[in-house]
Amino acid sequence: MQDALPPFVLDSEATKRSAMSGISSNPDTEKSATAESDEHLMIAFSRGSTDAFSELFSRYKQPLFGFFRRRVADPAQAEELTQETFLAVLRAASRYEPRALFRTYLYAIAFKILRAYRRKVAFRATFLGAATGFHRPALQNATDTEVSLRQAVGKLERLDREILLLREFEQLNYAEIAELLRVPVNTVRSRLFRARMALRALLAAPAPKSSATELTESEERI
Amino acid sequence: MNTTPHPVSPDEVMAFLDGELSAADAQAVASHVDHCGECTNLAEQLHSTSRLLSRWNVQAIPTKLEDSVTSGWKIGGANAFIRPSFWTWKQWAMAGGGTVAALSLVLAISLPNLQRSRQATVGGFAAYQGAQPAGREGSAGKLQVHGQPMTDQKSEVFGPGTVTLSSPGVAADSNWLFHGLGDHAKNSFSVDGQPITDQQSKVFNTAAPAPMIARTVSLSVVVGNFAASRSSLDTVLERHHGYSAQLSVSTPENAPRSLQASLRIPAAELPLAVADLKTLGRVENESQSGEEVTHQHADLVARLKNARDTEQRFRAILQQRTGNVVDVLQVEEGIARVRGDIERMEAEQKALEHRVDFATIELQLTEEYKAQLNPPAASVSTRMNNAFVAGYHNASETVFGIVLFFAEYGPIFLIWLVILVLPVILGWRRYRRALASV
Repeated sequence: MQDALPPFVLDSEATKRSAMSGISSNPDTEKSATAESDEHLMIAFSRGSTDAFSELFSRYKQPLFGFFRRRVADPAQAEELTQETFLAVLRAASRYEPRALFRTYLYAIAFKILRAYRRKVAFRATFLGAATGFHRPALQNATDTEVSLRQAVGKLERLDREILLLREFEQLNYAEIAELLRVPVNTVRSRLFRARMALRALLAAPAPKSSATELTESEERI
Repeated sequence: MNTTPHPVSPDEVMAFLDGELSAADAQAVASHVDHCGECTNLAEQLHSTSRLLSRWNVQAIPTKLEDSVTSGWKIGGANAFIRPSFWTWKQWAMAGGGTVAALSLVLAISLPNLQRSRQATVGGFAAYQGAQPAGREGSAGKLQVHGQPMTDQKSEVFGPGTVTLSSPGVAADSNWLFHGLGDHAKNSFSVDGQPITDQQSKVFNTAAPAPMIARTVSLSVVVGNFAASRSSLDTVLERHHGYSAQLSVSTPENAPRSLQASLRIPAAELPLAVADLKTLGRVENESQSGEEVTHQHADLVARLKNARDTEQRFRAILQQRTGNVVDVLQVEEGIARVRGDIERMEAEQKALEHRVDFATIELQLTEEYKAQLNPPAASVSTRMNNAFVAGYHNASETVFGIVLFFAEYGPIFLIWLVILVLPVILGWRRYRRALASV
């Protein structure tokens, strides 16, 4: 399928990430360059190879942190969730079976941890009266473009938003997204199209002077 | 605006740009996009959106996170594979403390009750073994009626000491039962039918009252020969001077016969009677209980004495005082009322004493069933008919039972539903809102 991609390949996180962390963070492109695939590394790690884990960690630490950082307002919380995901991988390594791509496996774990975190925060907010955790520091170093992007993405419907983020930043294909979110592939395609169109409309519209509350809500929704 | 229908849908164009189409489909979409301005424009829009999104940068991962994971792996080594405990030590401590507290509470509640019941059992057993055989007089001993020793069978019950009916305060009725406690003694008779003297009653009053216990024994016995056991039961009753308060025999078809009886046996004869009944067959179940009615009896005696005194005073007034007809009628009414109370209390007293004097044995005899080799079987059509009728009855009973259940508990169920559902719905909505905002 990928061979039918001549000039119109949508921009993605890949180029940006490599510039950011100094490593190539698109595992697919990296596979061709590196000797071992993620799956082989994971198998080696499950047999006790610490180097394999180090390699996997270096490959996915930044993409995983980005995954959480774009969805959780609190950067410290994003760090904690990233750490939790890697620890989950560590604990489950002995049971790992290469039935799917390691990348899908990793993001499935991350997504479960994210969902558990969201449930916990929502429960605390509902029944214990705790704040849902808006943190201004999240925007302290953000540029205007990033702020407007956060706001626009935050206004999308939840499922559309997840599909868009998984496609644009985690570089998952439609089938992987469908498996992760447990929706049909056609739904992924239609929702992704709708999300992109909606996002384009939101970004094209003149930016209203948003109040702090609106910013909070959009930030939280991401 | 171009309104001509496109051979490819917009999301197909997007899928093409994402590399999600097969080679053939991708070729077709590519050739279309090359010639369709609208689709080219769409592709450009998608590109620009993606380019905009690519500006959303995330800062580099903090080194401390990297260090913590790698150091955790290096320190944990092989143990890192082991899933840690679900609970932290604090949670374990709290759970352990809670369990200990709950156990302590349960023990604090149950131990005194257990001790009480044990004491009651031991006390009852002791009374059964010692005090009871000697009547309620509380002295264990070998019984002699006016100096005559009892038979060996009866002396087994009463123990090694000696109690004679010529002793003050001791009397026995025709069932070899002892009497002699307060007013109870007044209503008791010695073996020769003579009432107990006042002197003897006084002796009883000054002596420490032994507990009055109404005893009940439940016995379930499986017998081999049902008819023989039935006649043996009559013999046992006759031998121990008891009687059958209630008896029913069931002889179902193709099923073991059974007998249920409520036997009343003189309390002194109870152990022997139970022992005799046990010989009828294999004992399946046995339980014994005793209800102490001493206080109840003493209260009744006191009230009876007061009522008698009151009656005496009324009679004295009637004989000694003169008055008008109304006064006389009032006094007579008082006498009639008190007399009624006295008779009612005397009846209660007798019933109570009878409960103490005659222990109850709830006996169930069940035949050891032997299936017949050729039981008379009903025809297939009859059995089918019966099965259908039984099925219909069962179904209708079940439906009726369900209707009755909802009729009985439906309203309260609805009330609780209304009470509980509203907060649950409100809480759930708040939770969903909070979840959507996270």
